[in-house]
Amino acid sequence: MASLFSLPNEVLLANVAAQFPGRAVQARHLATLFSLRSASCRALVVHGLEATGKSAITRALLEGLCESSSVQHRRSSNGASQAGLLYAIIDSRECITGRHLLEQVIGAVAKAVGYTGNIRRCENITQLVVELRKLIEWWCSPDPELAQMRSFVLVFDGIDRQREAPPTLLPALARLGELIPCLTAVFIVTLPRPHFLHMNGVPYIHFPIYSKSEAVQIVSNTSPTPELPTGPEDTKAFWNRFCSAVWDSLSKHAGRDILSFRTICLRLWPSFVAPVLDGTYGPKDFGRVLVFKRSLFQDERILVPSIVPRTDANLIYKQQGVGTQLPYFSRLVLVASYLSSFNRPVTDHIHFMKGAVSRRRKKGGGTALSRDHNGVAKSRKISRKLLGPQAFVLERMLAIFQTIKQDADDRGRVGGWRRNRPLGLAGDADIQSAIATLASLRLLVKQGGANSADTLDGGSKWRVAVGWDFVRAIARSIGVEVEDYLAE
Amino acid sequence: MSVDGETSSHVGFDATEHQATYIYTPGSSDRPQKRRKLNGSSAVEHDDALRSKINFVPLLNGLENEKSVHVRRELYDKFWLDTESQIEGILNEANERTLAEVTEPLDYVPTGFVVTGPNIASQGLLFNQLSGHLISQINGPVVTLRSGDASNFKAVLKRLIRDATNQSPNEEDEEGEGLSLGQKGRKLLPYDLELLHNYVTLHGSERVIVSIQDSEAFDGAVLTDLITLLHSWRDRIPFVLLFGIATSVDLFHDRLSRRATRCVFGAQFDVEQTSSIVERVFTKVVISADARLRLGSALVSSLMERQYDHVQSVQAFIAALKYSYMCHFYANPLAVFLGMSDDPKAVRKVLQDEHFEALRNLPSFRLRIQDLLEQNEPDYARKLLEDDEKLLEEAMVSMNTRDHSIRDILRALHVLASSSKVLSVNVQLFMEAFTGSIYDSGTITKVINAIKRMGPEPLRETMQRIIEAIQEGNKELGLDPWDDEAADFVQSMKDIQVQTEKLVEEADEANVPIRSKYSAQHKVLRTTVIAQKVQLSHDSAKLSPHDVEFTSLVDRLIELLRNYFTIISPQNDFMNEIWLYDYRSPYRDVFTPRPRFVIERALSAPHEYIDTSIEELSSAKPATALLYEMYLENGSLINVFDLWSAFSHQMSSDDDDGNNERETLALFYRALADLKSLGMVKHSKKKTDHLAKLAWKGL
Repeated sequence: MASLFSLPNEVLLANVAAQFPGRAVQARHLATLFSLRSASCRALVVHGLEATGKSAITRALLEGLCESSSVQHRRSSNGASQAGLLYAIIDSRECITGRHLLEQVIGAVAKAVGYTGNIRRCENITQLVVELRKLIEWWCSPDPELAQMRSFVLVFDGIDRQREAPPTLLPALARLGELIPCLTAVFIVTLPRPHFLHMNGVPYIHFPIYSKSEAVQIVSNTSPTPELPTGPEDTKAFWNRFCSAVWDSLSKHAGRDILSFRTICLRLWPSFVAPVLDGTYGPKDFGRVLVFKRSLFQDERILVPSIVPRTDANLIYKQQGVGTQLPYFSRLVLVASYLSSFNRPVTDHIHFMKGAVSRRRKKGGGTALSRDHNGVAKSRKISRKLLGPQAFVLERMLAIFQTIKQDADDRGRVGGWRRNRPLGLAGDADIQSAIATLASLRLLVKQGGANSADTLDGGSKWRVAVGWDFVRAIARSIGVEVEDYLAE
Repeated sequence: MSVDGETSSHVGFDATEHQATYIYTPGSSDRPQKRRKLNGSSAVEHDDALRSKINFVPLLNGLENEKSVHVRRELYDKFWLDTESQIEGILNEANERTLAEVTEPLDYVPTGFVVTGPNIASQGLLFNQLSGHLISQINGPVVTLRSGDASNFKAVLKRLIRDATNQSPNEEDEEGEGLSLGQKGRKLLPYDLELLHNYVTLHGSERVIVSIQDSEAFDGAVLTDLITLLHSWRDRIPFVLLFGIATSVDLFHDRLSRRATRCVFGAQFDVEQTSSIVERVFTKVVISADARLRLGSALVSSLMERQYDHVQSVQAFIAALKYSYMCHFYANPLAVFLGMSDDPKAVRKVLQDEHFEALRNLPSFRLRIQDLLEQNEPDYARKLLEDDEKLLEEAMVSMNTRDHSIRDILRALHVLASSSKVLSVNVQLFMEAFTGSIYDSGTITKVINAIKRMGPEPLRETMQRIIEAIQEGNKELGLDPWDDEAADFVQSMKDIQVQTEKLVEEADEANVPIRSKYSAQHKVLRTTVIAQKVQLSHDSAKLSPHDVEFTSLVDRLIELLRNYFTIISPQNDFMNEIWLYDYRSPYRDVFTPRPRFVIERALSAPHEYIDTSIEELSSAKPATALLYEMYLENGSLINVFDLWSAFSHQMSSDDDDGNNERETLALFYRALADLKSLGMVKHSKKKTDHLAKLAWKGL
């Protein structure tokens, strides 16, 4: 038998390092902690921000280790076909509940060890331990004397984002390694809270964010489309310089992670190389293309991920928007809701009461205009627009609706028709259904629980969910100037 | 008021339904039949049976014979089915375009945003059609998720998996069990996408389409979870996501979290907007020459108004239209005459004396007689009044002329629209023509003035358009080409066209421009300075011989068109009551209820609803109404004791006995409970013994 301690396989490490630039150190640490004959551990935390290669490197290493260990093992135990190191990766994103996670663990482990028997349901963490132990023991059973030389790595990817996780889940999983022989639990998390496993002596491996040279190196490995007409080599060189330029101009300050950097590069590329493709510039004129297309690097809209291709047609559509498609009175209701959300109820009589002299009520002995001698208000007021929409009572919105209805002209309505109904809409069911429609479009949001009260109960609280620009456009389309009614 | 009187006045109305207490008298000892689930075929039979059973009521004071009732019923069925199929054709055509548009790019786009517009009612129909279309086109399950069955993330997933795996109709139950068992006898949870994965591998599905019908109504967190989960499974299950968006893609985008935003990127599809579909449906069923029943301008404008102000839904419009048809055939005994154009003999058979009498009582008949007398034909008028056969003849003639006059209007409007670039034949224009107000609105004058000012080339094009319009007709308006009938008109048009061309050629040779004396360039503004005063004067430039000739051509054209645009409104023709339906109030009562207004009105003016002939009630209001009055006088917080003392004072002052406090208190409690159940008051947490006012009058 060989010595008990050996360093991880250099060939494997070299492979991984070539595949993932800038991650040689982390890969070496991980390999050491995973390998059978080096400093193997029972629990391990891998942490780092998003898109720093945690999952990919762990997976690649485990794959490599699994293969090489099976080769070694076969040699030592005269052709036994079993691997010395097995692994299973459980992605928490795909686990809908904590229970689902446990089921997934059992399923993945059984699949990895090739267990063919019946598996019981796994409803809590205790059952998980029992079942896991059974599986691992079954795996080790053919040659128990080699059990020391076996190891099973169980990777929990993104376990900090697990939905509906019971509070004891993490500490319990961390102790799996203590309860079950030859099991290693690995936790891949973004930002570990201190002591989140409630366990001492767990090694942490940090994956720092990539530096510029590393990021550019990684992204230049992807091949862009379309290629330059002169061939892949020119394309490669051009792409490299392009990536570097994008990093300096855009990604350095926003969207530093590899994924968004790559997305931005790929999205800008077609329009950047357009002058080369149509032959205006040659493939060597990177500098001139850069100057010619400099507007691309100044436009920061690209940093906000969009869900549809950005075209000019979209912009036109946006201007027309949903506002013109909503029925006339729905628009009016929306404007009234905005006003009720952003005006304080106290000021309503100033804005909406016809011919009323604003009553000034003195409270607490001071006059209404009590101010400091300097002319500076005692408490600084924050604009209501900045405070966000406040909840309002439905009845109040209806009152405001009736008021602004009289001032709205018929601009948004079908032209030329005789207005044969005097617009007394009080208590009209159509208005109520307009409110319900707006609510299901989530332009209005009902406060409180969904089933708390009748939707159209006069006392129910609502909030508007559209912004100032939207409302102003809608209001103009029906001939209402929102500014006239909005408190400062 | 006696209970007996009430029950006898409402035949077929279950009075016990609205009584607080009643004596239960079991009718028979049989146990009620259990409801059996009906499958498709028997439901249809049931429907047919119902249709034959529920018949129209005999009209004409109950004297109308059964056959005539039957004819009305049949006519209604026929006319409405015709109209309905026309509408369906339009709807299918509109959605067909969208379907093709959406299906095609799904081959390479993982996500689609179907912008349906804010009409939620039509989303269901569209998505049904969409999934039907996709199932036939694509190998793989299509699932439609609605916000109603998406209370939480687990429920959505369960539904998604269940719907997707139950899709093959001939699937056996064993297979379903096989799916749920997963690998090696492990039973999978119902929300585990592994199930779907097994199904997909088993059936070799190329795509799994998940369409989310009302994305806005979904809870934001659920939607984000769903998107990220489906995204992470995309390497194993070929998901395609379709979002139905009622507002706009930008608003939808704002609502998604950044994490979810990264997972969806796709194409946007715009569904044809409801307003344009409604416009087309209107054109087809209200304007077109094939329209079976004419709707009057008041009703149509009401319909249009509600469409644009409130609902914007095709379904609501169709319902209203159907209701109009129903009302007409149900309530108008003379509707049988509408069948005459198809089968006069059958109609003649069912006609009875009362029909003729009713016909003679029509206002339009009176007008007709007056006309005849004014034209000095008293004999004919007398015959119409006395001889049924003569009247029938006249009726048939007038039914035919009605068709013609409507067609003539449509033709004139079509020509009018084609001679102007901005005008199109829409409902508004048609209604103006139909009611005869088109002259007042100046539409024709505008078009003619525009033609007057044209140069030779635009003029020639306009004439060409008019001739083409006549030669081609218009399918949407149901107009066939009518160049045979308008041969004179077309010929003189062509003459003018040829002459204009000749003139242009001549002028080109002479290298001078042509314009008529009406053209704008022809007028010259002249400034003259006389005695240090500036005088402005309009002056017309001299006309060359070409110009003079061209002007005369223009004059001829204008004359021709003006004659052609003479539109006679058929609205008040004889028998218009039979083919024209123009009552707004049934529509308004049925489709635009005002529940809150009615309740408030009933409470504030109860004497309008209660039989005032009874002495007691006329003097005092019901307790609830009285309390409501006091309620309205209060502020937003109501002190219950104050309310009670005011109430008891009011009651005792009315009452002679005075000291019947317990009874008054009971009335007070009941009235307050009534107000509470109407949602007007509730307990206030702000102050003890106070009620919060929830509803104000007139909102």
